[in-house]
Amino acid sequence: MRRWKMQRNKASRILRTMIFGAVAIPSLVLANGALRPRPATAAQEKPGATTVTIDNFSFAPMQLEIKAGTEVTWINKDDVPHTVVSDDHKLFKSRALDTDEKFSFTFKDPGTYEYFCSVHPKMTGKIVVK
Amino acid sequence: MHPFNIREALLAKHAQHVVLIHFPIALSMAGVAFDFVAYWTKRSALATAAYYNFTVAAVATLPVVATGLLAWQFQLEGQKLKGILLQHLVLGVVSSAMICLVWYVHFRSRRASEQKLPRYCLAIELVAMGLVALTAHLGGYLSGVNIPS
Repeated sequence: MRRWKMQRNKASRILRTMIFGAVAIPSLVLANGALRPRPATAAQEKPGATTVTIDNFSFAPMQLEIKAGTEVTWINKDDVPHTVVSDDHKLFKSRALDTDEKFSFTFKDPGTYEYFCSVHPKMTGKIVVK
Repeated sequence: MHPFNIREALLAKHAQHVVLIHFPIALSMAGVAFDFVAYWTKRSALATAAYYNFTVAAVATLPVVATGLLAWQFQLEGQKLKGILLQHLVLGVVSSAMICLVWYVHFRSRRASEQKLPRYCLAIELVAMGLVALTAHLGGYLSGVNIPS
């Protein structure tokens, strides 16, 4: 009888441990996922900022409408170097951006700004500032 | 834009480097082919053809190197290069020098009394072709001709 009771207590402890584990482990995993800092986009990093991705020899989005004072960040996701140069060659001009390199410019005045990649002049884009 | 407008054709706004580069590549490849066939068949006429191919190829490397350097200065404002751009520049200069070296060996051997191309020249030609192929591959990668349409 006593032996049977001991066995029952042991089984009960194992069961409690398993239930605790079944609840605690997923909770920890979920909490870890929720609390872990996620890679923020340029728009999340700074209010009034947005990102243009350079990939597959094109700017995406090709045309972007933003408010005056917005900072635009170009990020090169291609395996090939690209540049970001305003059509007048004066307003903004990046260095050759290698993979994952970025270039930022803040558009202060309203207007339409066209730009291109000086290495691949067929790659063009437009920023409309309102 | 009219295809037969001389002024527009000569002052084309596209990069000249990517157009001119095909001449030394094709001519030097033809020169190597002529040299190997001349070596196996012992036909001196083919060796002469190889020499003239290398002569024009060596001359054609000059505007190619010049336009490449100009593109670096004007399009990238002479900024310090790295990655594929730097590899392409270094390999381009070395392969151009190799083509000129092959031409010079040909030139020397033709002026010698035996007029026979030394065997080591074929080895140099193979190395030169390997460098040319690698440079061209990087150039194609940079210009984007190998991207899916």
